[in-house]
Amino acid sequence: MSLVFQVGAAVLGTVGFSVMFSVPRADYPLCGLAGGAGWLVYCLTLPRLDAPGATLLATVLVVFLSRLFAVRRRCPVTIFLIPGIIPLVPGGGIYWTAYYMVFDRFREAAQTGFDAVKVAVAIVLGIVFVFQVPQSVFRIGMRRCPK
Amino acid sequence: MERDVMEVAIEAGHILLENGAEIFRVEETIYRISRHYGVNTGNVFTLSNGIFVTAESAGKEPFAKVLHVPVGSAHLDRVAAVNQLSREIEEGKYTVQEAREALERIRKMPSKRPLVQVAAGALGSGAFAYLYGGALSDSLAAAVAGAVLYIYILMVSRPHLSKMVGSITGAMVATIVSVLVYALGLGKHLDYIVIGSVVALIPGVAFTNAIRDITDENYLAGVVRMLDALLVFFCIAIGVGLVYALVHWLTGGALL
Repeated sequence: MSLVFQVGAAVLGTVGFSVMFSVPRADYPLCGLAGGAGWLVYCLTLPRLDAPGATLLATVLVVFLSRLFAVRRRCPVTIFLIPGIIPLVPGGGIYWTAYYMVFDRFREAAQTGFDAVKVAVAIVLGIVFVFQVPQSVFRIGMRRCPK
Repeated sequence: MERDVMEVAIEAGHILLENGAEIFRVEETIYRISRHYGVNTGNVFTLSNGIFVTAESAGKEPFAKVLHVPVGSAHLDRVAAVNQLSREIEEGKYTVQEAREALERIRKMPSKRPLVQVAAGALGSGAFAYLYGGALSDSLAAAVAGAVLYIYILMVSRPHLSKMVGSITGAMVATIVSVLVYALGLGKHLDYIVIGSVVALIPGVAFTNAIRDITDENYLAGVVRMLDALLVFFCIAIGVGLVYALVHWLTGGALL
């Protein structure tokens, strides 16, 4: 049940960011879908993996969906990718790093900071690798449009 | 003629770069438009805040232009519109003059109403406070702080402040409101409230585009954008930390 609320919150948050970034209104649902699907994978895999691993898998799905939506709707992939990736950004990790720094708890600050960097690297790897998949893969099942 | 074509192509690139497109898309669009109208000699070099273009045809005056493009806030609907326009230009639906007018219309596309943007900020803050582990009351408190932060962004930091100062003071505003709301009894965990309240400051566009640009081997633009993103993350941390240190000092450790 809490998983439903979690994914629901991810969808709402992603749509909130779509509005802030002025995404065309017709694309809000797909942005929410990308963000929600990514967070669902993150929640499901987090107990078995660690945060970077779960983030990597979630990023792979978000980028894959974004590219799929972009091809289907014939618009830039950025529109889905930027809002969709936001839930995975290690905002909490950055917060705790700053928190421990202020109270001179350097060991914990270093630990949380390092963990946040690992999550960020996972996002980078997910984006980099899924963008190597050739565009034709995302056209499968689409009617060839006359040029 | 050649000059007109290049002007239109550059204007398309200008709108794209200004509103949060990747370098690859900016250059590709300029090439496509200029090629479609018969200028095959164009050369484009794009940085995170500038476009350099030249074109030279036999017997005509060479064309060169350098454009400084200060990066504004992202308007992804304008990116989508230019993308659509460039596809339709390639399909032959526009003369050069019509394309110029279409670009002018895109440049004038209205932003979302401020009230809608503030509501979106509140929604984002509330949702993310919950995602990061907060209770429903925390997410409500974060939504209040997020709304105040967005009003501050729209009225103070975007029109008047540099990016660094805007991010630091924005994070401070969000944290102060969070602490106040928490002290008044709304919400159970100050941590999650604060994390949620500052999400509108997260440099999502710069971070994602930096990765894309570096992947496309546009290292110079990518590294500048990554530095921009890291700097903003750092500024958010400083803003939150400053308020925490202040509250800690004022209350003698009672609240934090």
